[in-house]
Amino acid sequence: MIMNLQFFSHHKGGGSTANGRNSAGRRLGTKAADGSIVTAGSIIYRQRGTHINPGENVGRGGDDTLYAKVAGRVKFERLGRDKRKVSVYPVAE
Amino acid sequence: MIRVTFKLNSDHLITAFQMAGHADAGPYGQDIVCAAASALSISTINGLTQVAKTKPNVDSDDDNGGFLNVTDISLAHDAQVIMQTFFNGMNDIAESYPQNIEIKMFEN
Repeated sequence: MIMNLQFFSHHKGGGSTANGRNSAGRRLGTKAADGSIVTAGSIIYRQRGTHINPGENVGRGGDDTLYAKVAGRVKFERLGRDKRKVSVYPVAE
Repeated sequence: MIRVTFKLNSDHLITAFQMAGHADAGPYGQDIVCAAASALSISTINGLTQVAKTKPNVDSDDDNGGFLNVTDISLAHDAQVIMQTFFNGMNDIAESYPQNIEIKMFEN
């Protein structure tokens, strides 16, 4: 595929000029806080190894990234004596 | 906003990804987020074919840009290493530019 660096750029001029904030170093960890509402497919927690385990309605990616399988409320919970898991519980409409 | 969707199989391997939308982080020719997403995604596709010697199915809108759908990604180790690197890279960009890139993951 030809390397077109503007492949995902808006063709017409203009578009917002908002700059992203510089948050070097903050890559892993929580992406959706406990109690927050997420949509299906949203990434909840990025990690190396399973510090947090997948709970109800939560999937795990190849690098142990945890994501919501359904829309709902995020809940970080205990798992056994010394482990933790994160679940997503659908919220009644 | 570029919306990136990753499809995983039951073994958590990436079997497909789709990118749709425009970064809208600057005028054409100066949109750094678009350039980053474009470079990462296109080099991933070229890596899958030229380095890992696999044949993913690639569907893209070359006229207007802003749409890329890659399916039938090989489950071979080399291909998955490339895909995981791509996944990490896109997450890192999204971390710094959350208004311009959104990432979702789904199981097949």
